[in-house]
Amino acid sequence: MPNTPLEKQVPRRSFLDILLGVGVLGAAGSALFPVLRYLKPLPLEAAGGPVKLSDDDLATIESDHFVIVRVGPKRVIVFRDSTEEVHALAAKCTHEGCTVQFSFEETIVWCACHNGRFDIDGRVLSGPPPKPLAEYAVQTSDDGGIIVNMEIA
Amino acid sequence: MSSSTKSNSLLDWADQRYQIRGLIEFLKHKEVPIGGHSMVWYYLGGTTLFFFTIQILSGLLLLLYYQPGQDTSYETIRYITTKVPFGWLIRSVHVWSAHLMILSLVVHMFSTMLLKAYRPPREMTWVTGFLLFSISLGFGFSGYLLPWNELAYFATSVGTDSVKSVPVIGQWLLEVMRGGPDVTINTLYRFFALHIVVLPITIFAVIGMHLVMIQRQGMAPPRGHETSPRGMPFFPNFMLRDLLLWLMCLIGLMTLAVFLPYGPGLPGVEWELGLKANPLAPAYPGIKPEWYFLWIYQLLKEFPAHLFGVEGPEAALGLVSVIMGIWALIPWLDRKSRQGLPTPGFTDYGNASILFIGYLTLKAWDLGGGGGGDVLPDPAAVARTCAIIILGVAAVQIAIRVLVYHHWRFTTTGAVLLQIILHGFFGMSYLLAGAISFVLAMGVYIIRYRGRERVFEGAKS
Ligand code: HEM
Ligand code: FES
Repeated sequence: MPNTPLEKQVPRRSFLDILLGVGVLGAAGSALFPVLRYLKPLPLEAAGGPVKLSDDDLATIESDHFVIVRVGPKRVIVFRDSTEEVHALAAKCTHEGCTVQFSFEETIVWCACHNGRFDIDGRVLSGPPPKPLAEYAVQTSDDGGIIVNMEIA
Repeated sequence: MSSSTKSNSLLDWADQRYQIRGLIEFLKHKEVPIGGHSMVWYYLGGTTLFFFTIQILSGLLLLLYYQPGQDTSYETIRYITTKVPFGWLIRSVHVWSAHLMILSLVVHMFSTMLLKAYRPPREMTWVTGFLLFSISLGFGFSGYLLPWNELAYFATSVGTDSVKSVPVIGQWLLEVMRGGPDVTINTLYRFFALHIVVLPITIFAVIGMHLVMIQRQGMAPPRGHETSPRGMPFFPNFMLRDLLLWLMCLIGLMTLAVFLPYGPGLPGVEWELGLKANPLAPAYPGIKPEWYFLWIYQLLKEFPAHLFGVEGPEAALGLVSVIMGIWALIPWLDRKSRQGLPTPGFTDYGNASILFIGYLTLKAWDLGGGGGGDVLPDPAAVARTCAIIILGVAAVQIAIRVLVYHHWRFTTTGAVLLQIILHGFFGMSYLLAGAISFVLAMGVYIIRYRGRERVFEGAKS
């Protein structure tokens, strides 16, 4: 073995190959990692805390029976059913994310995109949505004000 | 000095520097095959390229006024269409040409598929073509959001939502695409970068590869005409015809753009600006993507919320991925045509997929369902009306295939039609009808394959 210089060269060359390979991979990785991190946006840090509906929102509830507001990063549909009870549900349909609406006549929450129907507590009645809509706690004050709280687990 | 020597000296000048005569000689000797019924299909790549050129020019013009932004996207498009002289025309040309480019591309792709032009040595031409198709869909999808109007907002919300079903990286991909968990103006910024920079650069590279491959290898002669001595010189004969066709395309495009500046008004083929996007407004019925996505949209609708333990959209998109994957890999799947043998099964597969996609697209249009406004169309009536139309189309298609092309293999077509009949006339669910037809077709294939094995073994012994 030791008297064949060629055999000795082979491991040395493959050592250099490995070194080069590791170097290329390392360089590519260290360039790629920051880019991948850069691509993913930061989570929204708007406060999710209680949101008091504005007078405009309350007026919309009077005229349309429902309104869609932002609570932190989420969109929430707030509506008053025929028993005057106020409900707040996630407004984003669990099927493909269309914005839902409240149908006062049928007392259901309806998604127009693929005819998904939910009851007023957010449970799926029919159509393609796979999961119920998340429910939010609401407080009503005597002067007609509405406060939407964080999501109920 | 006569003008001919003048032009010759110009040619000499160029030839000395750039060896241009060789190129002209090459183009004169390059031939386009004549034979069979295929001649007309060789022009569709060229028309696609024509419409693409129009996209670049009209897109650049739009860019002179368009500004992406919460308070500018919608407003600048509005300004372009209402104030800028002929702005409405530039926008109309850009959008019409986008639709015509995709139409031409789809027909081009199906015709090369049915002519089996993907056979070796042209596999990579097919693959680059498939990439061009995907990039063009990306152009359409990203451009659609740019006006930031209500319809685009909702259609993009629904369209991007399906990304979350991608295994493992779905959620990450969704947020990277949207620039956040929901569609916002950040999504528009990302789509703008895609539409104006990323996709153009990519498509230039891929068009380049596609064309170089075609130049090196020439056009595929139709199977059975490989040795046909007849051919048409590319230059000047084919090129002049090409130019004439481009002129006709331009006239057609201008006519449509002038007389129907907001599209023909079919869902998926209209671009009335409408209201500005408002994330706090509820969605309304009839939100549909552009026509070339309608079949996927409809397939998503046919799936129930849950199916065998996976969510419906995941299963539907899995199916679409399988269909697209098969399509991309056809040069390798169609093994017998690699050896120059006829593969009527693949011809039938291509023809049947036209019927399959056609039926879903018609259904997505809610043809014959009544409905409108707040009244939802009746799904059973839609299924029946569309089934009648597709059966009519299939009858014509089959007649042509039998009488003109002497085809005799109709297994996949039969399965697709059986599904449409079971679903449209007997009210069976689309998926169940599909499953039954699929099992029957597989049965036919297995029996036929077994039969062939037996013949083969008989021959050996
Ligand atoms: C294959 C190529 C292309 C396709 C299929 C395509 C498709 C589209 C579509 C469907 C829209 C939406 C139009 C609307 O609804 O108003 C759009 C908008 C736009 N595109 Fe393109 N596009 C292509 C290439 C380009 C290029 C190369 C540029 C610029 C260099 C460009 C610039 C724009 C601009 C500025 C808009 C917004 C204006 C508008 O919406 O009317 N496009 N594109
Ligand atoms: S997005 Fe709501 S039903 Fe499909």
